[in-house]
Amino acid sequence: MTLTADTPESAPPNGPAIYFDGTCSARNDVVVEAGIAGLQIFAGDRHLLDEWLYAELRRQAAPDGVLRLGRHGETLLARLEIRDAALAGAIEDRAVTLDRGGVAERKLRRKVVILSLAAVVSLIFTAIIGVPVLATRVTPLIPISVEQKLGNAVDGQIRATLDTKHLGAGFVCGTGANGAAGRAALDKLVGKLQAAAALPYPLRVDVVRRADFNAFALPGGHIYAFQGLIDRAQSPDEVAGVLAHEIGHVAHRDGTRTVLQAAGLSFLFGMMLGDFVGGGAVVIAARTVVRSSYSRRVEASADLYSVDLMHKVGGDPRALAAILARVTADHDEGIKILADHPDTKDRVIAINAVAPKDATTPLLDAADWAALKQICAPSSASVTAPASPPAATNAPTPVKTIQVRPATPGAGQKDDPAVAEQGGTAGGQK
Amino acid sequence: MWVFRDIGRGVMTTAEVFASPIVPAGTVRFLGHEGAYWRLRIKGAALVVATLGIYRFWLATDVRRFLWSNTEISGDTLEYNGLATELLVGFLFAVAILVPLYMIFALVVLELDMVAIKPVLIGFALLALLGEYALYRARRYRLTRTVFRGLRFDQHGSPWRYALYALVCWGIVIVTLGLAYPWTSAFIERFKMRNTSYGDLHGRFEGSGLSLFLRGLPMWLVVVGVPIMAIVAMARLIDWEMLGNALALSQGDSEFMNTLIKNNPQIGKAIGLIFGAFFASITVAIVLYPVFQAVKLRWWISGLRFGEIAVTSRLRIRQVYRVYLRLLLYLFLLGLLAGIMGGLTVFAVLGTVRLLHNATVTQVVGGAIGLLLYVVFMIGSSTIYQVIVAAGLWRLGAETAALTGEAALDGVRATGSPSSALGEGLADALGVGSI
Repeated sequence: MTLTADTPESAPPNGPAIYFDGTCSARNDVVVEAGIAGLQIFAGDRHLLDEWLYAELRRQAAPDGVLRLGRHGETLLARLEIRDAALAGAIEDRAVTLDRGGVAERKLRRKVVILSLAAVVSLIFTAIIGVPVLATRVTPLIPISVEQKLGNAVDGQIRATLDTKHLGAGFVCGTGANGAAGRAALDKLVGKLQAAAALPYPLRVDVVRRADFNAFALPGGHIYAFQGLIDRAQSPDEVAGVLAHEIGHVAHRDGTRTVLQAAGLSFLFGMMLGDFVGGGAVVIAARTVVRSSYSRRVEASADLYSVDLMHKVGGDPRALAAILARVTADHDEGIKILADHPDTKDRVIAINAVAPKDATTPLLDAADWAALKQICAPSSASVTAPASPPAATNAPTPVKTIQVRPATPGAGQKDDPAVAEQGGTAGGQK
Repeated sequence: MWVFRDIGRGVMTTAEVFASPIVPAGTVRFLGHEGAYWRLRIKGAALVVATLGIYRFWLATDVRRFLWSNTEISGDTLEYNGLATELLVGFLFAVAILVPLYMIFALVVLELDMVAIKPVLIGFALLALLGEYALYRARRYRLTRTVFRGLRFDQHGSPWRYALYALVCWGIVIVTLGLAYPWTSAFIERFKMRNTSYGDLHGRFEGSGLSLFLRGLPMWLVVVGVPIMAIVAMARLIDWEMLGNALALSQGDSEFMNTLIKNNPQIGKAIGLIFGAFFASITVAIVLYPVFQAVKLRWWISGLRFGEIAVTSRLRIRQVYRVYLRLLLYLFLLGLLAGIMGGLTVFAVLGTVRLLHNATVTQVVGGAIGLLLYVVFMIGSSTIYQVIVAAGLWRLGAETAALTGEAALDGVRATGSPSSALGEGLADALGVGSI
């Protein structure tokens, strides 16, 4: 509040300020004069303490009503604090770098927000398009041994999740004397498929005591088929069709690819984006939507592989479509963008569109097929079979067929949650 | 105060010298208005959500500028001169360090075929160590960006050593069921303050573990002591031999419980006792939390020293309670508002979408609305907490503090230089950052 009444027109604006020289914390009451090229800082005894050019002035964070100035490019933090509104205004008029009214600052902020939004869009596109492409390119570079180790690591977890009745070794069908014939039939069927598939490593196929209609492949070539699949199959080719689909996942190394994709997604949604309170839900939603879009593409290509492989071994390439259509006929398909498998109707149409219509003979003879159907039969007769009593309760008795229909509508559409996302919960649980 | 000054070309100028504010020496004040802080936080929260978190570096910088600038010590305000871009670069560096680290970790786990629990524990310990390291370096970043009277603060000392001390201290606290907390806190604060300086003025911490212990002991006895007594009492009620037998005989879960209850008539009482004790303990802990906050904050502020300068705090417990009661009120209002607005939105939007008779669209839109409401509620709660509690305690802490020996503030000389924002970035990427 300079009293300009007795100040001549020519006198430069001046007023009181506090000056810190940056070397010592002493507070200096000074008078600042806003000259032509810069500020002159005078001590109380009128001796010139410092001169600051307007071009090097920078506004520093300060409470309301205080103009705090620093000098650009100085290692020392000399400061000038002006509470005199008139003087502060005069200085702001002369030094453009002070950004009077904060216009430049607001413009900069707008730019920051726009660039951030652009970054978000770019990262989302990277997630949808870039990550799967990258994962596909990187997957062949992962050594088979690493993939098998990964499979072993996931295997234990998956098994623990699936084996809800704690059957232990008895969880796998065909281990007892009763299931030996079924096991042999299964091996025969798998052997035919494997010979034609030419995989980089041996397959391991197990039927496990779970009543849902499901099958899935782990990284490293371990395929699980559920008892519910065997029970509902009407021909060996239907079982083979589903297994061929899983072998497709193994051949394409989808398990490893899924792990890589999940890692890439976690990096984008989790590390780069979504770090704010409540962001966890956004991250999960985004990951789910993007992951299901990858997974639908992968499933479609495994279906095609199944058709091809079935054709090669002389089986019925349409069997997969048949069993899919029959089992999932009366189920609600759920929310499309969240489903990890394509619509069953679309799958059936796609399979039938490419599958040749030649007549075929079943891949197993009647005796073998009957044995395979009985692979999970109760093994109470066998003394060596572990955990007999629980196994017996799990036999495909008519009463148990209630369980045949998956408990949740979501589970109905999935004949196999592919391998799965790493966590292991993927299995047939979903 | 009007003063005539004679400057320049002999022209007499009248100037009101309110350059030096008239505040009693040694006073600490907080000058900021809550309304301004609300605006800053709400606008920031909206932009953070819109940019899926990228804006947080700018929000953090604005927040610090506000809090620092409005904290006045003995007539002069603090200044925060860090830049948001420094935080962003620090975060990107942290990501560049953490990603290979995570990858190496994943490979090691795969290669060694370790059982699931072991690598998880090792990983957790490593991340905790890295988190404490980051906290210490982040503190250095903030201190070196804090300017007071033209000089910056500084921090030295090895962050790795700090991280090790901090982890060991946490271990001791857990083993002693919290009884050692006052001493470990004093130890950690002494380490931090011993390595803190303002110009050439060295900091130290004089809060004693014993005094905090004595103030906190009654709380500990109620919150931790009571459940311990309940466990001891339960142990006496139960016939352990019977329990052992029941365990050995049992196969399934229900069988086990049946045997247990049959042979152990006291077990119901014991279980009731333990649940009652834990419930009471948690309730009391929630009710007493503001007391803990007040005691700890007052103890901490009163222990700060810089050379001859000592800080004292007159913080009252009831002041902290008032802060938390306000938090409850605001959270309640937010819940009410979110409930009403959410209900209306769901009703209106879903009603409209249903007209399309497309189940998928309805479900997707419903999910999106649910997600949006959740995010708005969460970020709203966090904003309320930040304004009412975090900034509220900052203001309280400042306004109840006073300096003695502040004459030493006039002769401090400059030292130190700014540090990198890597620590901040790590702290951010590891989710351990604070104001």
